[in-house]
Amino acid sequence: MNSRNLSPIALLTLATLSLLGINNNTWAQVDRSKAPEPGPQPEIAIGDYTLHTLDNGLKLIVVENHRLPRISWNLTLDVDPPLEGDKSGTASFAGQLMKSGTEKRSKAQIDEAIDFIGARLSTSAQGAFASSLTKHADVALGLMADVVLGATFPEEELEKLRAQTLSNLAANETDPGSISSNLRRRVMYGPDHPYGDVDTEESISAITREDLQLYHETYFRPNVAYLVVVGDITPDDALAKVKELFGPMKWKSRPVPNPVIPVPMRPDGNQVVFAHVPGAVQSVLHLVHTVRLQPGHNDVVPVSVMNSILGGGAFSGRLMQNLREDKAFTYGARCNMSPDDLIGSFDAYANVRNEVTDSAVVEFLYEIKRITEEPVDAETVKNTITNMTGSFARSLERPETVARFALNIERYGLSKDYYRTYLERLAAVTPEDVQRVAQAYLRPEQLHITVAGNKGEVAASLARFDADGEIDFYDAFGRKASNLEAVPEGMTAADVIEAYYEARGGLARFEKLKSLVEIGEMQAGPEMVLEVKTQTVFGEGMHTEISMAGAVMMGQTVTPTFGVNNQQGTQLPMSVEELATYQTSLSSTEYAHLEDMGYEAQLLGIHPNRGNPVYIVEIRKDGSTTKELQFDAESGLLMQVNRAQKSPMGPLQITETFENYRDFEGLLFPTLQTQTANGQQMAFRMTDIQPNAKVDSSLFKK
Amino acid sequence: MKIHNACLGLMLSVLALPALGQIRNVEFDEFTLKNGLHVILHEDHSTPIVAVTVMYHVGSKNEDTTRTGMAHFFEHLLFEGSENIARGEYDSYVENAGGALNANTTQDRTFYYELLPSNQLELGLWLESERMLHAKIESIGIETQREVVKEEKRQRYDNQPYGQLLPTTMEAVYSEHPYRWTPIGSLDHLNAASDEEFMDFYKKFYVPNNAVLSIAGDIDPKQTKKWIKQYFEDIPRGADIERPSIQEPKRTVEYRDTVLGKDALPMIVQAYPIPAQGTPDYYAVEMLNKVLSGGESSRLNRRVVEEDQLALFCGAFSFGLEDPGVTLAFSMANMGVDPAEVEQAMNEEVNRMKRDLISNRELEKLKNQIESEFIQSNASMAGIAESLANYHMYFGDADLINTEIDRYLAVTKEDIRKAAQQHYNENSRVTLYFLQDPEASK
Repeated sequence: MNSRNLSPIALLTLATLSLLGINNNTWAQVDRSKAPEPGPQPEIAIGDYTLHTLDNGLKLIVVENHRLPRISWNLTLDVDPPLEGDKSGTASFAGQLMKSGTEKRSKAQIDEAIDFIGARLSTSAQGAFASSLTKHADVALGLMADVVLGATFPEEELEKLRAQTLSNLAANETDPGSISSNLRRRVMYGPDHPYGDVDTEESISAITREDLQLYHETYFRPNVAYLVVVGDITPDDALAKVKELFGPMKWKSRPVPNPVIPVPMRPDGNQVVFAHVPGAVQSVLHLVHTVRLQPGHNDVVPVSVMNSILGGGAFSGRLMQNLREDKAFTYGARCNMSPDDLIGSFDAYANVRNEVTDSAVVEFLYEIKRITEEPVDAETVKNTITNMTGSFARSLERPETVARFALNIERYGLSKDYYRTYLERLAAVTPEDVQRVAQAYLRPEQLHITVAGNKGEVAASLARFDADGEIDFYDAFGRKASNLEAVPEGMTAADVIEAYYEARGGLARFEKLKSLVEIGEMQAGPEMVLEVKTQTVFGEGMHTEISMAGAVMMGQTVTPTFGVNNQQGTQLPMSVEELATYQTSLSSTEYAHLEDMGYEAQLLGIHPNRGNPVYIVEIRKDGSTTKELQFDAESGLLMQVNRAQKSPMGPLQITETFENYRDFEGLLFPTLQTQTANGQQMAFRMTDIQPNAKVDSSLFKK
Repeated sequence: MKIHNACLGLMLSVLALPALGQIRNVEFDEFTLKNGLHVILHEDHSTPIVAVTVMYHVGSKNEDTTRTGMAHFFEHLLFEGSENIARGEYDSYVENAGGALNANTTQDRTFYYELLPSNQLELGLWLESERMLHAKIESIGIETQREVVKEEKRQRYDNQPYGQLLPTTMEAVYSEHPYRWTPIGSLDHLNAASDEEFMDFYKKFYVPNNAVLSIAGDIDPKQTKKWIKQYFEDIPRGADIERPSIQEPKRTVEYRDTVLGKDALPMIVQAYPIPAQGTPDYYAVEMLNKVLSGGESSRLNRRVVEEDQLALFCGAFSFGLEDPGVTLAFSMANMGVDPAEVEQAMNEEVNRMKRDLISNRELEKLKNQIESEFIQSNASMAGIAESLANYHMYFGDADLINTEIDRYLAVTKEDIRKAAQQHYNENSRVTLYFLQDPEASK
């Protein structure tokens, strides 16, 4: 504006208005204090596709897009993967090796031909893919046809791949990601489901060339195949090319096996499973369970909204907000509930630093439960839907997206307008829908809580999340592992036992003990207290009486030569086996002289038992195990004894615990002892223990 | 006779060049605001989306030697909000609008982007301008993001197989230049930095004259320019930025070392210093690496992996940086193979490149590969926006998005051999063996 042409008053007005910040210039002041409103909703158009079925059953889908001079060809087999078991890896090998030699070309020739035109060619157990610039399309497609139809699986190439794969497996043995993946697959699906197959050194070594040929001949058949073409080509041209290279003269249809695959069972109660990663500073944590949900089901859309709220999206999922933004446990926490033709899955995961692994599990369980119990507020649902709408729109930038839609419609039998109506159906999802599907599909009490991490630092803290209180340990390949930690070098069972007596007052003092009287009580019911009295003369006999209100109800007498159980007057002689199990009680140093009594003791390792590490010592006689002793690694005291005992009802697994050690005349004795068998527990509280008290030997007469 | 043959050869080599006319040109508009902010706009109505991106010319090489990791840390900090955006709301604005967002940091620059439905362009401009004008740099954000970055470091480097490879290699290659540390930096440095230091970093580098605003997608250029002026014009220009000008001294004797770690298979890494990106020699080096490593028919793969079966994989790629970077040639040995054997095979292939010219067919292969990559690289709006910003920031010429390919296609067989002779020298390289520590499997 030229100020020379304005009157002084106009100038003054303008100047004043400018000072006040109001002017009639071309740009208005912008209000930064709040977010701007969006413009009108743009139209979202989904491209079209054509479908043609060849005489051999091959289904050709074409998505025409001339934006860039390139064409891609994607062959997909619509088959369930076969169960491979001890030849796990066969299908994958067959897929990879298709490209390693055909009747017409060696691998080197195939590689050179593809690289020369700057194209891509890949093959897999479930198909093949090729892409190139338009001008090279005939060459690229010809190469793809050659590998799909003419693969010969040269022995030399098989051995090369095998050597590489074995090296890779060796590398993966310490890779937390691979370890976690193997663990999850194995526990979720089990060994009888194709999804549970895990490649191992043994399985890879067992694969033969015949296996590969058989796989290829069986599954690469046109009647189960879809060929999706995307890019700079018309449907007619695509059809002509495909007929020539993949038509009935070149590729014969044949029935493909379709066995019934069992549905894997979920665990009763949450199970913690752990695989050790040497030197790990983070735990790879995945909480998983199977989900029965197939693609195209009406619940798939509300499930995806629920999933997004719980743990989808980039940053706004509840898991991310809780575990990263609020607690800074992790770089990323997310979840995925995925529908699948065979069996779907739910996986909530994060990599968290060692010290907070247990706290992270608490938060995961909290968020998973919360979304089933509390309805999500309407605004969150609305925002999630907007977010997913945007994501859908953005995915349309790539023509491959339309191709994927076309393939899904055909293979899953979705309605032709499934994707055209997707946004409408998405917009219709309500908070009630979200809660309904959360309750229908989430199983916060049937999770496998899988951890690949540092066993020594992390495992013990996770036992409380397991329904049985016991963590199952696995190796890097999903195989059950010994859950015992190696003991310090040179330590033996004898060392542990010696430490035990030292902790109790010294082995020498126990050697000198002549007799022992133990008096205690047991709560047998609300009003019923039983008195227990055990009198022992070491080397001679042990006599136990259980009384109620002074009247003896049960008793037991054990000597080196006989044993008898007393039930209200009836004498029941003990079997030889039962008597043998009590012999060690006749010694005041029952575990220090096991060898003399014909027993062997072996230190098996360290085990975390309810959060406390314990030494496990196994006692054997004549080759069979008689007892397992657990000594607290810190205090040295005996905490638990596990043994089996024959009974009229069959072998009984008996667990005895020893707690609350107290001092009686300078020696420590446990004042709380429990005995659990057949699901029943008896607890004895010792009120008095008298070392070297007088005992009447006539108690030990038959 | 000879002249006739030479003409024929010349004609054939000209014909071998791809017809560049058929390659789509990326059109764009650009201008600079008074405060120094450079703006680039690319219009494309194929899909109703828009990429709103800002590139700041600050990376790990701008950091103080006792405060490494700042640039990357800022990438996290700038999601914490601004004077008008409450903590935790930055992400929500984008996601609730149906968009996606992220950022990344390299040695040379930090890049922020939002992908939005096209009717939310103004939102994107508001968000990025808020960041630039008055991002919130305060204690609670700093504390939280410290922990997040610690986890990122654990996940990406400490707990990842061979996660220490790059940091260890860069530290061995560079003794003076800031490239010796990687963007993630040091947690100790981050812990030691005071809140004021963070604020100083922001005031120094997060200014319009140090930034490029690059937008690509379904936009109305007229309205876009109007909004850009409204949101960005008033942001005050900052002081001129002093760029580090440290010359890494030339290495004259090879440095070799063995590094012990947890990973089972030996990894051999060789780092050769190379010229900075954009220099004439750089393109020859890139083409050289393509011969060595582009595709399964490449020299290193064929010799080391396929024929001699010494390794699981073997390749070479250039770490092209603003200041002279490195080519990394690396290989993961097969189980039971002596790493020295792998290295010998790699060295022999590199020496072959110094001795013999590649064939005409190999050269044609390279050009076809370049052409294919070039055409497919401009497929997404986010990719185009980032390319335009890169080309302007590093070379002052956004049109390189259309013309850089010519520099590749101009490289001759002789250039490639010369590049190998000049830059892939035993004496100037660093060779590291990453082996498993025998104590590690506990």
